[in-house]
Amino acid sequence: MATVSQNSKLGNILWPTLAWGIALIFFFPIFWLVFTSFKTDADAVKPEFLFFFTPTLENYTNMTENYDYWRFATNSVITSTFATIFALFVGVPAAYAMAFNPSRHTKDILMWMLSTKMLPAAAVLYPMTFLTKNFLGIFDTHFLVILVLCLINLPIVIWMLFTYFKEIPKEIIEASKMDGVTTWGEIKDILIPLAWGGIASTALLTFIFCWNEAYWTVRLTTIDAATLSKLIEGNRAPEGLFFGRLSAVSTAAIAPIVILGWFCQKQLVQGLTFGAVK
Amino acid sequence: MSDRTLPRILQTPAVVLLLIWMLVPLSMTLYFSFIRYVLNSSIRPEWMTPSLSNWRGLGNYQYVLNAKDFWFAIQNSVFIVSSILILTVVLGLGIAVLINRNFPGRGIVRVLLISPFFVMPAVNAVLWINMILDPVLGLQGIAVGGLNNLIDGLRDFPVLGWFFDLWPKLEPISFRATQTSAYAVIMMVAWQWTPFAVLIFMTSLQSEDESQREAATLDGASPWSQFINLTVPHLARPIAIVVMIQSIFHLSLYAEIEIVSRGNGNKNLPYLIGEFTSNNIGAASATGIFAVILANIIAIFLLRMVGKSLMD
Repeated sequence: MATVSQNSKLGNILWPTLAWGIALIFFFPIFWLVFTSFKTDADAVKPEFLFFFTPTLENYTNMTENYDYWRFATNSVITSTFATIFALFVGVPAAYAMAFNPSRHTKDILMWMLSTKMLPAAAVLYPMTFLTKNFLGIFDTHFLVILVLCLINLPIVIWMLFTYFKEIPKEIIEASKMDGVTTWGEIKDILIPLAWGGIASTALLTFIFCWNEAYWTVRLTTIDAATLSKLIEGNRAPEGLFFGRLSAVSTAAIAPIVILGWFCQKQLVQGLTFGAVK
Repeated sequence: MSDRTLPRILQTPAVVLLLIWMLVPLSMTLYFSFIRYVLNSSIRPEWMTPSLSNWRGLGNYQYVLNAKDFWFAIQNSVFIVSSILILTVVLGLGIAVLINRNFPGRGIVRVLLISPFFVMPAVNAVLWINMILDPVLGLQGIAVGGLNNLIDGLRDFPVLGWFFDLWPKLEPISFRATQTSAYAVIMMVAWQWTPFAVLIFMTSLQSEDESQREAATLDGASPWSQFINLTVPHLARPIAIVVMIQSIFHLSLYAEIEIVSRGNGNKNLPYLIGEFTSNNIGAASATGIFAVILANIIAIFLLRMVGKSLMD
């Protein structure tokens, strides 16, 4: 016997409409950003052109000239890609060891790794500036940004990989040990193919976090290694003069990541709650 | 090689890297918080290099605790974080329950809803404060202007015009003042993080025991009492986790504050540290240590919960 409220005609129309309404409200700011990016700067602030205007691509074609977009975008791609690769490179062996050869300290090590993620970045702002500028001389280099992005995401990478690896039956790994396969062979030929989906979604999520990072990428760069976060932050207050072009560059900055994000919603839950919500 | 050594070797790079990353800058902050250390001083140039001879003991902490800015930043941090938490949890619960049923286009609704979460914070802030909330040129300004024109037009209406004469002229709100820019920050961050709460609550709702609900329905329990007595207890843990993860993220909120309210007095702890860092490193470091303590209190609770799930 079904409940009345769920099967009534009214409910069948009311609930989906409400759900669609809320989804559209939440999406509206993004829609508006993309919409505004097709207006000229002059049209973008005129109420009479609010919805009806002659669309133009000039904001996109002039993006290099106006903002040097591609330089910042290239920096974002380089730093996020390499940070993700390095984090996996360090994270996969660590998670492998913790999942298949746990010791009694494994749990504590995992907890401690997570706790490093919770340190407020601002607390070490000056030491980081001091070390990288005066001591190591790597301030505003790709190397530094890659290193920092890799380190701040490493705990999440290890946690996510750990939860994926734990689901692989131990017997498979042990059987290969019997056959005299080396550890490296185990990781390369057995673990990676088996956990491919998990590793890929970990990589995707890490890439997203790196791309959107907005503290260290802003504070530890000036020009050479500046990413898209820095570009947008630097153009924060156009005073209404450049709404069109600012919308275009912002759209270009978020589009790849929002689309990537659609593909890894599920992993997001696991990645951000460390497997605590199932 | 024994069974124990190899796993240890595999973990070593990760552990060592994180250990350096955590210990080196933090111990420097701790050290700087006990000495006099400024970047520019014509009167006391000896304070411009960090040295133990400039020992100040707890002086920096005292200075920070007596600074009006510090207490304002703490209050503001707490206000911003707790407002965001209340908004995201309440909205998140409502929306999760709403879309946790089958209807046409559910997949698209999910995709639309989650999108804000992937917008980079800098774009989020620039978009909201300019294109949406600007009192003249943003949507807010245009909407208020449109409404005023509409009312003006209605005033000339025969017979009923007097009624609209009584209406005041609407004033757009400027979101660039100290207090209002805190509201703007709350709005934009809640917009970004509500989808996250929805996603987590939905994941959890899907694991809810259906047979329990069916039994309750047969016993004649109303949907509301089912929600209160079955769903809310089931969601207690995800709610706690959403609250704690967000607290940690939002206590270090930076880009949004920087973009929305640079120089207008609206600040939180990370922003205050940034301000101190332009000259008074001792005070910046002491404030940093306070921020670490605050984050740790929350982190301990979160780690306990996560630790429990690790045991299963």
